Amino acid sequence: MKVFIQFFKDSLEEVTSGSRVYHLWMAFLTLVMLIGSYCYYIQVDQGLIVTGMSDGVSWGLYISNFTFLVGIAAAAVMLVLPAYIFKDIDFKQAVLIGEGLAVSALVMCLAFVVVDVGGPANLWHVIPGIGVLNFPNSMLSWDIIVLNGYLFINITIPLYILINVYQNKEPKKNIYLPGVFISVFWAVSIHMVTAFLYQGLQARPFWNTALLGPRFLASAFAAGPALIILILTVINKFTLFKVENKTVNKIAIIVAVAAQINIIMLISELFKEFYFPTHHSISAHYLFFGLEGKTALVPWIWTSIILNVIATVMLTIHKIRTNKKFLLVACIILFIGIWIEKGFGLIVPGFIPGQWGEITEYTPSFIEIGVTVSIWAMGAFIFTVLAKTGIAVETGKLRFAKK
Amino acid sequence: MNNYIKIISLSFLVGLVSCSSNQEKENHKYHGVIEKIKDLEKDSITYAVNSTDLVENMQLISVETKEVSFFIPERKSKIKSFQCSECHTKSIPELKFKNLTAKKAHWNIELNHATSEVLTCNSCHPTQNLNHLKSNLNAEIDFNQSYKVCAQCHSSEYKDWLGGAHGKRLGGWINPRIAATCVDCHNPHSPKFESRFPSRLNTKKIEERR
Amino acid sequence: MSKKENKNVENSQNTWHQITSENTDRRSALKKITAGLVAGVGIASTSCSVFSEDHEKEASQMSWDEFFKKNYKIMSDEERVQTIQRLESLYEKKTGNTINISHQGPMEDVLYGYVFNISKCQGYMDCVNACIEENNQDRDSQMQYIRIHQIEKGHGFNFEKAEDNYYNEVPANNHFYIGTQCFHCENPPCVSVCPTEATWKEKDGIVVVDYDWCIGCRYCSASCPYDGRRFNWGQPHVPEEEVNKNQHYLGNRLRKKGVMEKCTFCIQRSRSGQNPACVDACPTGARKFGNLLDPKSEIRWILENKKVFRLKEDLGTEPKFWYYMD
Repeated sequence: MKVFIQFFKDSLEEVTSGSRVYHLWMAFLTLVMLIGSYCYYIQVDQGLIVTGMSDGVSWGLYISNFTFLVGIAAAAVMLVLPAYIFKDIDFKQAVLIGEGLAVSALVMCLAFVVVDVGGPANLWHVIPGIGVLNFPNSMLSWDIIVLNGYLFINITIPLYILINVYQNKEPKKNIYLPGVFISVFWAVSIHMVTAFLYQGLQARPFWNTALLGPRFLASAFAAGPALIILILTVINKFTLFKVENKTVNKIAIIVAVAAQINIIMLISELFKEFYFPTHHSISAHYLFFGLEGKTALVPWIWTSIILNVIATVMLTIHKIRTNKKFLLVACIILFIGIWIEKGFGLIVPGFIPGQWGEITEYTPSFIEIGVTVSIWAMGAFIFTVLAKTGIAVETGKLRFAKK
Repeated sequence: MNNYIKIISLSFLVGLVSCSSNQEKENHKYHGVIEKIKDLEKDSITYAVNSTDLVENMQLISVETKEVSFFIPERKSKIKSFQCSECHTKSIPELKFKNLTAKKAHWNIELNHATSEVLTCNSCHPTQNLNHLKSNLNAEIDFNQSYKVCAQCHSSEYKDWLGGAHGKRLGGWINPRIAATCVDCHNPHSPKFESRFPSRLNTKKIEERR
Repeated sequence: MSKKENKNVENSQNTWHQITSENTDRRSALKKITAGLVAGVGIASTSCSVFSEDHEKEASQMSWDEFFKKNYKIMSDEERVQTIQRLESLYEKKTGNTINISHQGPMEDVLYGYVFNISKCQGYMDCVNACIEENNQDRDSQMQYIRIHQIEKGHGFNFEKAEDNYYNEVPANNHFYIGTQCFHCENPPCVSVCPTEATWKEKDGIVVVDYDWCIGCRYCSASCPYDGRRFNWGQPHVPEEEVNKNQHYLGNRLRKKGVMEKCTFCIQRSRSGQNPACVDACPTGARKFGNLLDPKSEIRWILENKKVFRLKEDLGTEPKFWYYMD
């Protein structure tokens, strides 16, 4: 217990001290979060009417980001598998970053759900015991369980490892390995369950496809590790923590393969929708070509596809992938491409056209954007704090001092 | 290491199985709602409420056929200046053409029902004993049972009305059945529904879908 | 009811009882903890302040109890009466007017069904107005449970070619009209997906929402193939003089912002033998309502004698809302 308190004290000290760039960065994030809090206050006060959503498109930017971030959280931990099971020491360094990313992505996921509901004060209704959780019928109740379980696992494992390293002890394998195994399975399940959330709705043919879950995984395993590569680069630049090129290259291979699979699945979906278009292809038609002159999503989805294809080609060619600069560029455009695809490209067209063919377009309001940006800022804030502590422990800067 | 994998995959399976239990037991019992209806239907159902309580002060006329029996509202008391014989002391031929300059009685009634080749005033109203309606074969039909006059031509509507597919219920869905009769909705002299503007315009939806 | 069924009911009631009593303990614990927290923060200053008036205190106590009440589905009869009393007196305190909230349960041997005669509907929209007035729907957003679609003849039932905001003289030349609303499915997807069981199908087949238990996630509206659900995006507003004071807990009582609502076949009317407001308002008799379990009912005659169909039958939702033509 004493160790814990000391650990938190030390890490608090660690995260409150740093370079000027670090302080500026944190101050900037805080400012964004404050602005977002004000936007959220307006939303709570007046209701979701201040967002761009309507009965036509009843989920928008919030749920899009939620879906995307579940993927990030899942993918981050998939790096754990090779690190511990294949005893590949290269990966081990990336794992802490990965789990930190998973935790912050999950917190963002939960935040996006909280800001999306109409009665956040009533959220205790889902807690079994005092409320009623519709398990196992509702996929949302599955999602609530898996996301919170995953968050718990991803907080406890790194904490256990860090606390041990902090005390100069070797973390016991038979304690953390089962946790690692579960978290890997769990990572797949959070993403599949989130896909099932949409996939199970017969009312929305655009989502009601067997490929939705697998495609979620493929795109997540492209976007997640791509983000990790970017973060590792930043960390390499700004901290003492050095990750070898070999590790980055290995992660890049994962990104490349996942991006390729994602493209194959995209082609398969496009073929099904457009080779012989049925009534159920109409949402896809709206997404890719627009309907009745309404084309709000068309530029987005084509941007996304072009970015995805360029990134995949870049990652596939060995010479480009192993070039540090090109790799970063590829990762950035892949990340943006998948963010659009999972957000505007997946959630919104599911609602358009509506059940009776009416076309209600969706544009997020400024308040919605403000809240969204501030949740991203919160995620970045949490990640920075976690990563800074983790790195300090791993590099030996932070150690338990017996007094 | 292998043991871990086994344990984990087992727990995964258990999780999957548990999700398939419990789910919508009731719905798997029946293959569709019609099956459920057939299974649960009752020949005689007694309700706590009575439709006659919902239509207080309404005088009812009973309609009895081989298949169905129900009620319709009484009609005569709602006709302006019934009995007709209060004015029509003489038969129509006797009344006719005595005073050509005077404004005709019932001048406001314009017959807009089929064509003059198939339907005139005398198709439904007799020339003598005007307190009744008449059938094509000149049988007397009571004003309270005017549906019998309509049924002569509109046999399919009549059949649907008896069954309940045509017309409107009065006094709720509950038993006994009380239904509007033909003339409660259709003006017999001009039975077609008027065209008009809808009762509302949804400006907000238009805005939303712009 | 057979003996076996009776036993089942008893059993389930016992288990419910256990669960609910356990729940109550935990809930009251939660209540205390939260009360402490909130009081500490100072938000609850009105309820704790010595200076506030007695009736204000009482009202805030009532709102407090309202916030921590259970899902209506698992409330005991006593608890239902209590919450209704609270709601009624809160309304009276706020507006000075009395409302009457019913908690009448389903009748025995009743399963409601609805049929719609496409040949008869002329698109007058009288049903829409009657529905809004009866069910206290938000006037500001012009919320409506019923949609009347004006479809040009010659395209079949092509809803993509339909217009549901028409304002032309009706019936328009060469057009027909078809109304949609909540179809009260036997296999309602909205009920399966709700994470808090805030919406469910009653024994008489009506799919209802507990407005106070709904968290506003809108998963149900995403899952409904028939556009049957409406969300209160803002604070709903009904002018006081237009409020229908004859209400039902699961029906037309006043809603708040951020919750889902829907057609309940006018539960406050249908459970007392009346027709839903739309049925009574329809000048053409295109709307028919009744008990599907009564073989002598009009609705059963229509199902058995007319060529009826339902919309999107392939989805397996089993709507209890049929269409037919003369």
